[in-house]
Amino acid sequence: MKNRRFLVGLVGVALVVGYLVWTGISDTMVYYLTPTELVAKVSQDPSFHSVGVKVSGKVVPGSYAQEGEEDLLHRFRVHDIEHPEVAFPVIYRDVLPDTFTDDVEVVLEGRFGEDGVFHAKTLLTKCGSRYEASPDEMAGQEMVQ
Amino acid sequence: MTALGEFALWIALPMAFWGMVMGFVGGKQERGDLVLSGERSVYIVFALLVVASLGVVNAFLTDQFQYWYVAGYSNRELDTYYKLSGLWAGQRGSLLFWAVLLAFFSAVTVFLNRRRNREFMPYVVGVLQGILGFFLVVLLFAGVNPFEQLGFMPADGQGLNPQLQNYWMTIHPPVLYLGFTAFAVPFAFAMAALFNGRLDSRWIVVTRRWTLLSWFFLTNGIIFGMRWAYEELGWGGYWFWDPVENASLLPWLTATAFVHSIMIQENRGMLKIWNMSLVLLTFLLTIFATFLTRSGLIESVHSFAQNTSIALIFLAFMGSIFAAAVVLILYRMPRLKSENQIESFLSREAAFLLNNLVLLGAAFAILWGTMFPLVSEAFTGEQISVGPPFFNRVNVPIGLVLLALTGIGPVIAWRRASGRNLRRNFLLPTLVGLGVVIFFLSRGVRDGWALATFGISAFVLFIILVEFYKGTRARARIEGEGIMAALVHLVSRNRRRWGGYIVHAGVVMIFTAFAGSAFDVEVRKALEPGDAVTVASPFGHTYSLTYEGISSSREANFDRWVALLSVEREGERIGAMTSERRFYRVNRQMVTEVGIRSTPLEDLYVILADVEDFEGIVANDPDAQRIMAEVQVNPLVGWIWYGGVIITIGALIALWPATEVRRRAPAEALERAQAVTPSS
Repeated sequence: MKNRRFLVGLVGVALVVGYLVWTGISDTMVYYLTPTELVAKVSQDPSFHSVGVKVSGKVVPGSYAQEGEEDLLHRFRVHDIEHPEVAFPVIYRDVLPDTFTDDVEVVLEGRFGEDGVFHAKTLLTKCGSRYEASPDEMAGQEMVQ
Repeated sequence: MTALGEFALWIALPMAFWGMVMGFVGGKQERGDLVLSGERSVYIVFALLVVASLGVVNAFLTDQFQYWYVAGYSNRELDTYYKLSGLWAGQRGSLLFWAVLLAFFSAVTVFLNRRRNREFMPYVVGVLQGILGFFLVVLLFAGVNPFEQLGFMPADGQGLNPQLQNYWMTIHPPVLYLGFTAFAVPFAFAMAALFNGRLDSRWIVVTRRWTLLSWFFLTNGIIFGMRWAYEELGWGGYWFWDPVENASLLPWLTATAFVHSIMIQENRGMLKIWNMSLVLLTFLLTIFATFLTRSGLIESVHSFAQNTSIALIFLAFMGSIFAAAVVLILYRMPRLKSENQIESFLSREAAFLLNNLVLLGAAFAILWGTMFPLVSEAFTGEQISVGPPFFNRVNVPIGLVLLALTGIGPVIAWRRASGRNLRRNFLLPTLVGLGVVIFFLSRGVRDGWALATFGISAFVLFIILVEFYKGTRARARIEGEGIMAALVHLVSRNRRRWGGYIVHAGVVMIFTAFAGSAFDVEVRKALEPGDAVTVASPFGHTYSLTYEGISSSREANFDRWVALLSVEREGERIGAMTSERRFYRVNRQMVTEVGIRSTPLEDLYVILADVEDFEGIVANDPDAQRIMAEVQVNPLVGWIWYGGVIITIGALIALWPATEVRRRAPAEALERAQAVTPSS
C-alpha cells in the first residue's frame, strides 16, 4: 500500500484537530442573538437565564450612568436595532472601550439574569473595529465659495 | 495630479488585460513577440498605478475633500505623516495600494527573469496581469473607486479614526500587504509550471526567495499589528482572535507549511501535489484576508447586505481561481507522482509532514471558528459564535506540538532515524527541557501550559545552540579558523539552514512570551493626588505608583489630559510615567493612550481608565483631579517584539542573495565565452 504512512498521519492529525474543535465549540459556544430573540427565548425557556449569550443592540441615548466610587459600574439600556421598543437594562463592571458612547452599537457577552437585567462580562463596540467612515452623511456641510 | 491619477487607473485596466492575453496566447503559440509585449505591459501597468497612487496621496496632502475617500479618512489638522498613510487607511485606498504593490512585484519578476526561466514567463505574466486586472475591475466598477467625488466640497474631512493614528498602524498594513502580494509570484510560477508541464522542482527553486520574502513580510506585518493592538487598544493584550486578525494569520499558517514542505520536494522529490495545493491555498487565503479585512463580512453580520456586492465579486474570483487550478492539477496528476515515499515515522520527512498537517489543522480550526456564526446560521437559523476561549483551547496544544517540531525537524535524520541518531540529538536537550520545568515548578509555577511551553522552548533552544556549537567547532578545527570567523563562514556557506535556525530561535522567544501572559497581574484603583497603588510583579518585586496629578492641554487635532505618576520599585524611585486621554475634536472620539515602561523581562502598563471631571481639569480646579487607574504588569511581553527582530535577522540571512550571485557569475562568463567562440 503506497503512502499508507502519509494517510495514517493525515487521519491521525485530522482526528485530533477534529476532537479539539468539536469539544472546543461545544464547551465555549455562545448564542449570538438580537435583543428581541433573547427576550423571546427567555420567556419560552426560563433556564436560558443561566446560559451565557452574546447579544448585539444599540445603547439607548441618555440612558448611561456610572455608579460606584472604588469600582467601575456602568448602567445603561440597550434596545433592538430593528425593534426599538424591545429594550432591557445592562450592568457592566469593567473599563469601557474608547469608542463607547451612549449612542453606539454594542455587542455584549454575559447572562440575562432573572432580575431582568443583562449582566455583561464583555462589551465591544461595533464601529470601533471596522474603522470605516461614510462621508455621504456629510451633505449639508458644504463650503461656501 | 489627482485627476491624472484617476485617468491612469482607467488606462491600467485594459493594459493589464492586454498583458494577460498576450502572456497566455504568446505562451501557447510560442510567439516571443507577443510574450515581450505582455512583459512590457507589466512595466506600463506598474508605472500607471504609481501615478494613480500618487494621485491619491496628493489628494490627501492637499486636503481635496471633494473626494469621498479623502473626506472620510482625513481632515485639515491631521498630521502630514498620517495623511501620507491615508493611501492604505481605508478600503478604497488599500485596494489600490494592493494593486500597486502587486504591480511592483510583477515588474521586478519580469525584470529579474528577462533572460532566465523563459519557459515560465509567458504564463507568469498572464497570471499576474490577470490578478491585477481583477483588482482593477473591482476598483473601477464595484463602488470602491478611490477617486469617486462627493459632488460638493465639504469644509473639512471627517478625520482619520484616532485609533489608527499610531506609528505601528501606519506600517502594519503595508508590510502585511507586501506579504500578501509577494506570494502572488510563487503562485504564478506554480500555475505556469502546470501550464507548460515543467513539473520538476524548478518552479520551487525559482520562487524560493519570493516565498521566504512573503513569509518574512507576513510575519512582521502580524507582529506590527500585535504591537499596535498592545499600545493602542489599551487592554494590555495583543491578540483578541478577532476575525480580522484571524484572517491575516490563516495565510501565514499555510505559507509556513509551504516554506517547509518545499524542502521535502527539493530533497526527496515528494509531496508535489501537496505543494501545488498549498501554494494555491495560501494564495487564495491572501485574497480572502484582503477582502475580509476590508469588507466587514464577519463582524457586522447584521449589516451583511450593504457589502454583498464586493463580497460576491471576491468569492466569484476565488472560486474561479480555485476551479481553474484544481482542473490543471487533475490534468497534470500523472506527472505529479511522488518519486519517493515516507519510510519511517522517525524521519525528517515525517517531522516536516507532521508540521504541515498540524499547521493546516490550526488553519482549519481558526477558519472554522471564525466562520462559525455564518455556518451555524445557515444550518440552524441561529447564530452561534465562539470567542477567544475556543481559539485558545484548540491552538495552545497545536502550538506546543509545532514548537517541539521546531527543534526536532531540522536535526532528525532523513529517511529513517536510528536509535543512535535520536539519542545523540535529543537526549541532552530533553534533559535540559525537563530541568527547566523542574526549576519553574520549584519556584511555584503551577500553570501546566506555561510549564510545558518553557520546557519545550528550552529543549528547542538548546538543540539550536548545540547545532551552532558543533558546526562552528568543526569548521574551526578543519579550516584552522578562529571561532568568530568559523561562525561567520559557517552561516554564509549555508544561509538557508542557519538563517532558518535563527528564525526558529525567534519563534521560540515569541512562544515564551505568549506563555508569559499566564502571569499577567492587574490592579485597578481610584486615585486622588498623593494616593499610591501597589502591584506585585510575578518576578517577586513590588511596584508602587504615586499619582502626582493631571493636566490638560490643547493640541492641533485633539485635547489631551495627561496623568502623571511617579514609580518606585521596592521603595526606590525609578522614574515617572504618564497615561493620557485624548479627545479628537473632528472625530468627536475619546482615546486612551496608555503609559508603558518596558524592561527586558516585563512591562509596567498604566491605563487611565476613567477621568472624573474633564472640564474641571481644564479649568484648573484642584478638587477635580480624581482618576481611575489600571496598572498591569505584563511579563515577557517584550519578547514578542525581540523575537520579531531575531526572526527578521534570520530571514534576512536566509534571503541574502550574495551566494547565488557568486555562483552565477562564472556560469555567465562561460556563456559569454561560448557565445564568442565560433561554432562549427
